[in-house]
Amino acid sequence: MRWRWLLIPIVVLPLGWLLFTGFSLDPRAVASPLIGQPAPAWTYTTLDGEELSSADLAGRPYVVNFWASWCAPCVEEHPVLSAAWDQHSDDLAMIGVLYSDSRDNAESFLDRYGRAGYPTVVDESGALAIDFGVVGPPETFFVDADGIVREKQTGPLTAESMDRHLASIGIGR
Amino acid sequence: MSRSLPAVAIGCLLALVALFALRPGSPPTDAQRADALAHELRCPDCAGLSVADSPTSAAQEMRRQIVELVAGGASNAEVRQHFVDRYGDWIRLAPSSPVAWLIPFAVLIAGVGALTAWLVRRPSPPAPTPPISADERRRLREEAEALDA
Repeated sequence: MRWRWLLIPIVVLPLGWLLFTGFSLDPRAVASPLIGQPAPAWTYTTLDGEELSSADLAGRPYVVNFWASWCAPCVEEHPVLSAAWDQHSDDLAMIGVLYSDSRDNAESFLDRYGRAGYPTVVDESGALAIDFGVVGPPETFFVDADGIVREKQTGPLTAESMDRHLASIGIGR
Repeated sequence: MSRSLPAVAIGCLLALVALFALRPGSPPTDAQRADALAHELRCPDCAGLSVADSPTSAAQEMRRQIVELVAGGASNAEVRQHFVDRYGDWIRLAPSSPVAWLIPFAVLIAGVGALTAWLVRRPSPPAPTPPISADERRRLREEAEALDA
C-alpha cells in the first residue's frame, strides 16, 4: 500500500502546479503568430486628416500602439510612449491606432493627457486590429527596419518593457 | 398472404424513411456557410462568445470579412486559416484536432477503470465469527471454573 503515497508527487503536485500557473496567466496575453512575420500592410487616415501608409515607413523601425480613450491602461502607458517618442523620434516611427472609438473622444483624450507628437490613424472598421490580431487595447507591436514584427506587448507599457521591446528592433542599444 | 401484409407495410415505411434520411442534401448557400463559420470563430474582444453572437465592432468586421471571403470563393478551411494566421488557434472556439474531443471520454474511462480496480483489490472485510456451540460454551465454563479453583 506504500505506492499510494506516490499519488501525491505523481498526481497532486502536477495538478496543483497546473492550476497555480493557469490562474496566474493573463487570458488576454495570446501569443501572436505575427512574431517573426512581415507586418500587415495598411493605409489609413490620421486624426489630422492626412493619409499615412505602412509603405511610408519602409526602412525604419516602427512601433504600432493600439489605444482607445475608454481604455484606462492606455492612460497609464501614455507618458511612456510620449517619452520614448521624445527620446528616439530620429531613429524610429511611432503610430497610434485608434481602436473602437470616435475621433472626438480621441481628441479629448489627447487634449487631456498631452499630444505625444506622433500620428494616430483611425481604424473605424476594426480591420487593422484584426490584421494585427488585436484582442483589446492597449496592445503594441514592434516592427524592425525590414518590416518584420519582432515583439508584442499586451497591456500597458512600462519604461522598462518599452526599453526592452525597442532593443528588439535595434533602438537604444 | 394477408398475415404478411403488415410486415410488408412496415418494411416499405422503413425503406421510405431511410430514403428520406439518406437523400443527398442541397449544398449550403454562401450565407449559411458564412453563418456557420461565424459560429466557429471567437469574438476577439468579448468573453467566450462567437463572432456570430457578439455585437462588438470587431465581431461585425470579422463577420463582414467572412462574408467577403466566402463570396470570393474561399473554402471553409481557408476562411478559418485567414483568422488563425492573425490570432493563432485561440480564435477557434472548437479545437482544431478531433482527437481533443476524445480526451474527456478517455479521462472518464481511466477514472472508472481506476475506481473499479481499487474496489476489486480492496481487502474484503473479515468473515463474522460463527457463534460458539453449546459444547464449546460448556467446555469454556469448565475451564474457567478449573482456573478459579
